[in-house]
Amino acid sequence: MPLTFIEIERQKNWRISLLFIFLMFMYFCVTYSLVIGFRLIFFFPFLNDGLVSFVFDPVYILIIFAFSLLIAGIHFWFSASNMISFVVQNLGAAPPDPEDGVHRTLKDVIEEIHVVTGNKKKINCMVIPSLSMNALAVADLKGESVIAITEGLLSRLTRPQLEAVVAHEAYHILSGDCLETTVAASMFGMYASAIEKLESFRDDDMPGFHPAFLLFWLLVRLSNLLNMFISREREYRADAASVRMTRNPLAMAEVLHLLSRNWTGVGLIGSGIEMLCIIHPNASHSDESEGWWADLTSTHPPIRKRMKILLGMAHKSISSFEDEQINEAVRSKSSEQHYYALDPNQQWQGPYNMGELAFLPWLSPVTWIISGIDKSPMRVSENETINSIFSIIPDKNENRSNEFSCPICRHPLVETEYERTKILKCSHCGGTLVENSKIPRIIARNDGECNERIESIARAVLSDNQKKFTVKRLKGRTVEPAPLHYCSKCKHPMFRTFYSLAYLIEIDRCGKCGVTWFDADELKMLQCIIENRITASINI
Amino acid sequence: MTGWILLSVIILFIVWIIFMYNRLITFKNDVAAAWSQIDVQLKRRYDLIPNLVSVVKGYMDFERETLERVITARTQALSAVKLGDKASAENALTTSLGSLFAVIENYPVLKSNENAMRLQEELTTTENRIAFSRQFYNDLVANFRIRIEVFPDNIIASMFSFQSPEFFLAEKEDRTLPSAKLCR
Repeated sequence: MPLTFIEIERQKNWRISLLFIFLMFMYFCVTYSLVIGFRLIFFFPFLNDGLVSFVFDPVYILIIFAFSLLIAGIHFWFSASNMISFVVQNLGAAPPDPEDGVHRTLKDVIEEIHVVTGNKKKINCMVIPSLSMNALAVADLKGESVIAITEGLLSRLTRPQLEAVVAHEAYHILSGDCLETTVAASMFGMYASAIEKLESFRDDDMPGFHPAFLLFWLLVRLSNLLNMFISREREYRADAASVRMTRNPLAMAEVLHLLSRNWTGVGLIGSGIEMLCIIHPNASHSDESEGWWADLTSTHPPIRKRMKILLGMAHKSISSFEDEQINEAVRSKSSEQHYYALDPNQQWQGPYNMGELAFLPWLSPVTWIISGIDKSPMRVSENETINSIFSIIPDKNENRSNEFSCPICRHPLVETEYERTKILKCSHCGGTLVENSKIPRIIARNDGECNERIESIARAVLSDNQKKFTVKRLKGRTVEPAPLHYCSKCKHPMFRTFYSLAYLIEIDRCGKCGVTWFDADELKMLQCIIENRITASINI
Repeated sequence: MTGWILLSVIILFIVWIIFMYNRLITFKNDVAAAWSQIDVQLKRRYDLIPNLVSVVKGYMDFERETLERVITARTQALSAVKLGDKASAENALTTSLGSLFAVIENYPVLKSNENAMRLQEELTTTENRIAFSRQFYNDLVANFRIRIEVFPDNIIASMFSFQSPEFFLAEKEDRTLPSAKLCR
């Protein structure tokens, strides 16, 4: 059997019972010392027999044992069986959207991995709406299992790389060590990250000691203690299994390289469930070092060592690989062909790539264009590739959805594809109506480079909004209240707000339907600001 | 006394034969199941190709040759019966589809056509599934071959005349990475 080694791994599951015994022991000790302490305080004066027989009274031991067994059983079952729904709620994970190109690819890749493992076990997949880059696998005692990947990672991976990630996580699930980790994480970590989440919503006005913090600290310590049950070796094994399935060690090494250089979700992924991830979100010093103490306390091996092993399979050295990756990044930025086009006001606009050019409303076969390479202006009709845009315009892939109209100019909104997902767009004023759940993935993807025009508008808008915002804070009122727009779906007024205080782009939100209206270019500006980390320039 | 010992040795021997035989049968059926998996995926590809061709046809008049190669490769693969023929016909189909995908890359118009992109994604995943199920099948075959050739098992295998199944081989130039790289 090709994957027999997976069956062998199954035998490791005795560790789960070890976890249970540990839990029971803990409850037993706590209850026992409480009861004895209580008795000592109140009954000490009436003590007839010796102290030893008083402390080790078999009846009490038996009762307390039964009690701690019950409590541990309840704790164990409730934690371990709700882990999937907890992760879903805590991280806001949702099943992939069948209308979305990237999510469809994820679903297909999961099916492919299903084939290569010989259809052993059904694995579900989920997407976490976050720009961070990480992936995790969860399995619970009911036998269900989920692979969850963040939008940020999903948008940056090529197909072979995605396959490697999914194969890695699938191995964790099939070998049963995901169940073990999940149980360990659920014991205390689940509650720790729940408290952490609550804490982040609390106002920081009252500094100092807080009782929830003590509880959180205790739970995190206990959860760290359980890390000793989780060996680092399993990550090496999962990497190896991933290569075995996809026969592509380079893809996995590329993923690790990418992950090690990006935000892996510190702050988003609670400290209790870090051990479920493909890479530790908050890698500490001990995670990146070796030796028996690091082996004992950390759940993930050093990332460079993992890469070294993978590159060894591909007969490559780590230094040459890293150079290659950097060169690749530089090349991909500059290689794409750009065009400039002359707009109806006789102004050169650009640079546009092919896709953006196709969506320019004023582009016609007689428009003058300059391609980035030969620099001489020509008509669109003279360029074979660009002219082919016009052959599709009659049957453009837009469905008129007459139900909704633009909140500003009342033209009907059309459904169109943007960043490989579906949004509603007004073809007259260029504004877009986006469901709130789709915003993170649009920001994460950012296929179309943001051009100079968008960037300069974004800078101007940001500074302007920053000024308005400061004035509002100082005076306590808005400068000039603009009329509110009405939601295209439910016709109720939408509230006007900034996307966030870090990204001061004005948007209109409908609280009822969960949609956001972006005026023309605002969505692009938002993407541009986040990608290039543009901030408002304040001059006082 | 000697009779009893002899009897128990014979019984043990028979039990051992039964055990070995059953294990070989399990292996054999696993191989057959893996083969049927490949078949399912191949069938899926046959069904998808006409759809892709009909979508793409409208856009690429001067690439008739590539399209025709795909169509003929498909018919050949459909009509192949023997495993060896089938493998080479399927490989030809994979190569021709690969060149079709490469051509599609040059047509930005097609890349903005949602239907074509969807079909291309479907075909890419099917290609990968074929590669993966083939890999799974070949691994099983290799294991089964080892089983029926190593020492004690080969006696039983020859006793019950177990045939060693054929590998589903890839073409020489196909040994590098699958066509997965073409997408995205």
